[in-house]
Amino acid sequence: MIIPPRKRLGPLLLIAPAAILLCVFLVLPYLNIVVMSFRMPGQGTPYGPGFTLGNYGKFFSDFFYVQQVINTLWIGFLTTFLCLILGYPVAWQLARGASTFRALGYALVLSPLLVGIVIRSYGWTILLGNNGIINRTLTGWGLIDGPLPLMYNALGIIIALVHVFLPFMILPIMSAIQGIDPSLEAAARSLGASKVTSFRRITLPLSLPGIQAGCILVFVLSLSAYVTPSLIGGLRVKTMAVTVVDALIDTFQWPFGSALALMLSVTGAIFVVIFGRLTVMKWKA
Amino acid sequence: MSKPFFTVYCLIIYAFLLAPIAVVVIASFNAGAFLTFPPQGLSFRWYLVFFNNEVFMRAIRTSLWIAALTTVISGIIGTMAAMFYVTHAGKLKETVRVAMLAPLLLPEVLTAISLLFFVYSVGLGTQNLVGMIVGHVLITLPFVFINVSASMESYDPAWSLAAQSLGAGRFTRFRRIMLPLIKPGVIGGCLFAFIISFDVFTISFMLKGVGMSTLPIQLFDYLRTNFTPEAAAVSTCSIVLTMAVVVISEKVLGLRIHRF
Repeated sequence: MIIPPRKRLGPLLLIAPAAILLCVFLVLPYLNIVVMSFRMPGQGTPYGPGFTLGNYGKFFSDFFYVQQVINTLWIGFLTTFLCLILGYPVAWQLARGASTFRALGYALVLSPLLVGIVIRSYGWTILLGNNGIINRTLTGWGLIDGPLPLMYNALGIIIALVHVFLPFMILPIMSAIQGIDPSLEAAARSLGASKVTSFRRITLPLSLPGIQAGCILVFVLSLSAYVTPSLIGGLRVKTMAVTVVDALIDTFQWPFGSALALMLSVTGAIFVVIFGRLTVMKWKA
Repeated sequence: MSKPFFTVYCLIIYAFLLAPIAVVVIASFNAGAFLTFPPQGLSFRWYLVFFNNEVFMRAIRTSLWIAALTTVISGIIGTMAAMFYVTHAGKLKETVRVAMLAPLLLPEVLTAISLLFFVYSVGLGTQNLVGMIVGHVLITLPFVFINVSASMESYDPAWSLAAQSLGAGRFTRFRRIMLPLIKPGVIGGCLFAFIISFDVFTISFMLKGVGMSTLPIQLFDYLRTNFTPEAAAVSTCSIVLTMAVVVISEKVLGLRIHRF
């Protein structure tokens, strides 16, 4: 078949708008943010003329910011871990449970994603506040004397983040388990493996890619979460993302804010790569 | 784990997932001036306050406009990219996929910040909607792409060739062969795009101009200083609106699939 030259160009026109959009409004801005982090801080303007390493120097010399990155990473780890522990059984049930439950369960897992993150975080402030439902109920039952500190601390942030990102853990694990041939588990059972052994030796290792995807997704999302930490943490506990946005919006420190954002992203990326390596190794072993 | 224990465990997780949303909805019918539980009687008082609050009403209109524009742009660009990805990408397939999913994999905060700097350095600024729309299109593009390309998995290029051999032009082939087949994917993708755009916060927060707050931004600002149930009424309306979009698209547009 002779292909006219027009036809060879045609398909490229299909991808052109997306390619241009991504190059101009994603790649260039990301390069720009790297450049921005080396700019001089400005007086009255977002940034001044010339370049400097001072923004990174300020980050490393002030223990406050290093500490905040560590705190943010720690919150990210705990959120990811809790999402995994809480989400895995649900993912398993959605993949292997009775079909009557499955459709409803799937809808229940998906539905929080349809509700905006501001609203969901707001819901947690109603639940966790000092005058919130949980504290009032416990006080009403006489179980506690004063309100438990559930909000304006790391605990509240983690509870809300686990809720917000749990579907992102459940869905990849669910599809990984759905991809496992049930006859493998049946074979293990028929060879005398207990339920626990069959799970530990067959289901769990084969669902590792889903676990990996879910963990990376939740970890990255919780590091960069802004709404939930700022509504639940208030002014008392700030994660790095909140500090970065404040530095940019409130005080217009664009170069320093960029340096902070990049330091958080780089540390986050290092942990994701380490985690990826570890799980791949385990996957092979 | 025994079976009943396992079921109970899952039910608790489902309850955990729904609790904060249910609480917001219940709180919106509170008759009292503060968020107390149990509510001090039921009333629509806060809905009336909300409907008469021009700030929130304007925010809803802004949100709907932006979401609609975003959906159209993202739907077209994303569908085209998905068509390229499935039928023409060849060796570049994995590259195209990763590039199209990039906005989803990159932290939203970082994307928002970088876009903010960018619109300023090219002189666009935030006084028009361009930056905001671009940000929303970027964030929603992966969802259109995923849905459309998934619906094209079963697409056989031979069908298009058959139509071509029968004399159908390029546009006719697209309209009569491909579009009806990928329509569920396009609708699903656009649905996601609309909802995500309606709910997205960080991108809008960084790229908003003066007086262009979307509903999530307005709500966030309100929540920083106010604790009345009006915020709950606003939230409930937002939830209902989103659910309505889902149901309407499924019922109305779902029926039209057969009419093609």
